[in-house]
Amino acid sequence: MLNIKILGSGCAKCKRLEQVTRKAVDQQGLAAEFEMVTSMEEIMKWPILSTPGLVIQNELVSSGKIPTEAEVAQWIEAAVRAS
Amino acid sequence: MSAEGAIETIRTLLSAGWLSLVDYLAAHVLLCLVPAFVIAGFMVSMVPQEAVTHYLGSKASKWISYPAAAIGGFVLAVCSCTILPLFAGIWKRGAGLGPAITFLFVGPAINILAITYTGAAIGFDVAFARLSLSITFGIVIGLIMAWVFQRKRASQPLQDKIGGVFDHKAKVRPVVWIVFILLFMVLIVGTLQVNLLTQTYISINLAYEISPEFLAGLQDAGLTIQGLLLILLLGIIAFIAWLGVENVLDKFSSWSYTAIIMVAITILVAAVRITTGSLEININGRFVGEFILLTTIGIIASRSFSKGEIASWMWETWRFIKQIFPLLIVGVFVAGILTVLIPEVWVQTVAGRNTIWANMGGVLFGIFMYFPTLVEVPVARMFLDLGMARGPLLAYLLAAPGLSIQSMLVLGRIMGRKKTALYVVLVAILSTVSGLIFGLFQ
Repeated sequence: MLNIKILGSGCAKCKRLEQVTRKAVDQQGLAAEFEMVTSMEEIMKWPILSTPGLVIQNELVSSGKIPTEAEVAQWIEAAVRAS
Repeated sequence: MSAEGAIETIRTLLSAGWLSLVDYLAAHVLLCLVPAFVIAGFMVSMVPQEAVTHYLGSKASKWISYPAAAIGGFVLAVCSCTILPLFAGIWKRGAGLGPAITFLFVGPAINILAITYTGAAIGFDVAFARLSLSITFGIVIGLIMAWVFQRKRASQPLQDKIGGVFDHKAKVRPVVWIVFILLFMVLIVGTLQVNLLTQTYISINLAYEISPEFLAGLQDAGLTIQGLLLILLLGIIAFIAWLGVENVLDKFSSWSYTAIIMVAITILVAAVRITTGSLEININGRFVGEFILLTTIGIIASRSFSKGEIASWMWETWRFIKQIFPLLIVGVFVAGILTVLIPEVWVQTVAGRNTIWANMGGVLFGIFMYFPTLVEVPVARMFLDLGMARGPLLAYLLAAPGLSIQSMLVLGRIMGRKKTALYVVLVAILSTVSGLIFGLFQ
């Protein structure tokens, strides 16, 4: 099962990122657990400059923007292949 | 107080709130705010953060990192939720404490919404003073903080392990800058008071008489025909945006196109001068200028930007509006009511003249009261109407966005009590001094 973390204090962008990611996961018919990391201290442990950040299988793949569904799909594929 | 008296008082208060709201939704404010929101959305969606953060890494020289931190807020920090992570990032992994502090102070004060709104509602002298002094102070405060705490930053453990965050460079396409400049000109053409723009070139007389009773009713409500039209347009935009912008990232529908056109129409309606009475529309330089600019932007954008890019531009703009506008309306309404409630004598005694105590009072008020983004502006306007001098007003506007009890608590957790205390003291002193100096020239 994939572990996906959304880093962000819960602003509109983070919700959008979650939506996009969930869609990408569903489309590939995978199962994933989503973790919303909202505490600033936890977020700052990742090398990101601004929220929202996306972490797939403990690897930061994007930060500071909302990636497209296609981009997220690629990252998920890569993560699945690696595991 | 009798029941009738109480009702009468409530009516006076509500009408004061309403009048200040109408005043704020007037043409000249909308000509500023509507483009400012669109520009804010444009910058967030089109200018990647790396374009600025590249200059804030640990290898950047002081001469580059401080100005970049000061100006970076213009591009990066329109949303307060992005400021703290960036601040912590610049401090711990990038250029260090000084530039991080600069960024923290300047960011919320110089974003395009705050500056244009200050200009439209209070005056462009205060807006420019706010802009230039915020940048100067941000740098000065950053330098002082870095100097005081320099020994404690001997090791940078985080920097080498994950230094890469600042290494990314981003290319911004030239067309992005062109559209940015054009959008900026929309703002300038909408606000500049020069003859070329205010002069009427053609008058179109709509042979339609509005019933005098309707006009009188409007006047009672503090509205003009143009004002009414603009408020209606805003309502329509809100409705269309809800249909066509809320979900624009999933589907670019005909509602989305309609929303773009409606925004352009609103700017154009706000630009013309409408003489009431026999309903005469005066095509002035402003209207012609805005028309040319908006058409050019439309053509360039439709040719050079992909649908996805335009969609994210719209989505970001709409996000800002949703986040800021409702609170702003409430703030304006309440400020209008308070203008009636607070006796002028109070404000004039405390801050009526440009003294050191008056400036300090302005700063303290800014620190202890927390206002949502942009609401500090109507509050400042309220103080101005109540007789506050312009120096203390500026002092308040400089201190308010950077400091509040809430932000101090968060900062204290991130960088410790000592640094936070020094930061607060520096901001308070420098704001007081600059208000005092600005007040001398009034």
